[in-house]
Amino acid sequence: MSTLKVEGLSVRAGALELVREVSFAIAPGERVGLIGESGSGKSLTALSLMGLLPEDVTASGTARLGGRDLVGVPESRVKDLRGREVSMVFQEPMTALNPLMRVGAQVAEVMTLHGTPRHDARERAVALLDRVRLPEPAQVARAYPHQLSGGQRQRVMLAIALANGPGLLICDEPTTALDVTVQKQMLELIDEVAPALLFITHDLAVVASVCERVLVMYGGRVVESGPIREVFTRPRHRYTEGLLAASRLTPRGTRLPTIQGSVPPAGRFPGGCVFRNRCPHATPTCEAAPALTGEGHAFACWHPAG
Amino acid sequence: MTFYLLKRLAVLLAGIAVAAVVVFAFMSLLPGDPAEIALGVNATPEAVAALREQFGTDRPPVVQFLDWSGGLLQGDFGTSYVTSSPIGPQIGDRLGVTAVLVLGGMAVALVLAVPLGTFAAVHHRDPLGAVISAASQVGIAVPAFLAGILLVYVFAVQAQALPSGGYVPFAEDPGEWLRGLLLPWASLGLVQGAVLTRYVRSAVLDVMREDYLRTARAKGRGSTGALWRHGLRNASVPVVTVLGLQLATLLIGAVVVERVFVIPGLGDLLLNGVAGRDLLLVQGVVMVLVAAVLLINFVVDVAYHLLDPRLLR
Repeated sequence: MSTLKVEGLSVRAGALELVREVSFAIAPGERVGLIGESGSGKSLTALSLMGLLPEDVTASGTARLGGRDLVGVPESRVKDLRGREVSMVFQEPMTALNPLMRVGAQVAEVMTLHGTPRHDARERAVALLDRVRLPEPAQVARAYPHQLSGGQRQRVMLAIALANGPGLLICDEPTTALDVTVQKQMLELIDEVAPALLFITHDLAVVASVCERVLVMYGGRVVESGPIREVFTRPRHRYTEGLLAASRLTPRGTRLPTIQGSVPPAGRFPGGCVFRNRCPHATPTCEAAPALTGEGHAFACWHPAG
Repeated sequence: MTFYLLKRLAVLLAGIAVAAVVVFAFMSLLPGDPAEIALGVNATPEAVAALREQFGTDRPPVVQFLDWSGGLLQGDFGTSYVTSSPIGPQIGDRLGVTAVLVLGGMAVALVLAVPLGTFAAVHHRDPLGAVISAASQVGIAVPAFLAGILLVYVFAVQAQALPSGGYVPFAEDPGEWLRGLLLPWASLGLVQGAVLTRYVRSAVLDVMREDYLRTARAKGRGSTGALWRHGLRNASVPVVTVLGLQLATLLIGAVVVERVFVIPGLGDLLLNGVAGRDLLLVQGVVMVLVAAVLLINFVVDVAYHLLDPRLLR
């Protein structure tokens, strides 16, 4: 029994296919990382699960959360799940809160929306602010967002996300906009309080510290997935291999290893294996799309490493 | 907030004081001696000098200014050189009429612009949203007095449903008072409403792109609910700016509309004063109009600070 089961999820903007046939599952309590460069489709995947895609972008396929469909249903039928069964923390804490509303009221709102009486919600909002380790939570509850730092605002967002005890928490680069010292505290906090977690980042060290399993995305597809230890020590897809090599510290004076070329703009990825125009091991075979195969540790590559 | 309010109040009072000096100076610079005007071209120099002494216009300008402004502080606008009646009560009566006219026009504008502008923003991709945008564009191009004349033609001359002009005091007959004001309100409000619709539309469009609206939806609100609860107050901040500017414009627009509809407001009084060369009356009315505009700006600034906590640091 899994908390979330995604099958054949595709995201399109008009004729452009931005995410293609993504499938994965998250078990109750499991922490799954979703990594890849900018433009690989990570955020779109998350937003389509929340039903928060931009106006002209549509999702197809299925995603089920505890027996309820998330994709391809009208907003009126999924909005009672949002903030209750599945919550999301966004990348940019500075703009994610309403500047004209007190913080406590914004935390309480997510509870009153889902049926908590107003008075209880106010009280629990303060308790939640305390739980995300904001000092003097009662005072923070009366503050406006501009009176808080970025790290504090992100904690408020986390409090909002946790308020109704959701089964799944989605974090989209929650620490990218924060200072390094604040990042670490935030990660520890997420690690401590998260139910099942889908954690999106481009920072491999962050995934390694929080998650048990990882999905690697490139060009709108999952190219490799598996337990973090295995994927990071023995990557099979050539893209994962390049990504790990690029993040490794190298001795002074040597060139930093990079993946040659750059991520093509949406819709300009090659047919077949999406990575083949940047892959040093590509052969004519790669013109056919490889399937994601393997139990546990799966990868989609014709010429896997190791 | 208290400190800010006191500071802003000081600025308002200073503004009004400066305005009094400027208004007085301009009126003094105008050619034409009230005593000469009153007595006509055949008056003897002795008679003119005597009347000057009676008016007090033979004194140095500084003394005259202090006398006039000191009177203003007590609500005394002086006595007309032409009609010999006190000016203050006249302005008081007329101010009420103009205020009702302007505030009513603004209310019409708001009632039109907020729903239409919001609707046009939410439906900015649909044909209906585009129609509202285009219609508001036409509205902007029409001056208020022209709108007034057109409205009179349609509703008063053709349909005979409403009076084409005139003013019945509220105390006399509330029903007639309302009927008489409907067309003036509409002619002021339609044009300002068209302008305001465009500002509301762009403010709401801006807010719709904000991250906190996405946050509200992530909490479980629908897109309409999110806009209602989190968007409109944020959108109102830029709209209030325009509203303040428009109120000032409406006050000036009222001068013309009062002429079209024969309404005894401040504008009517001002034009009568100019026609009758009643300088002290004109001076008083201009002073009141300037003070009203300064007061509107004050109210707008305070409204900002009530709406947006970020401004209070």
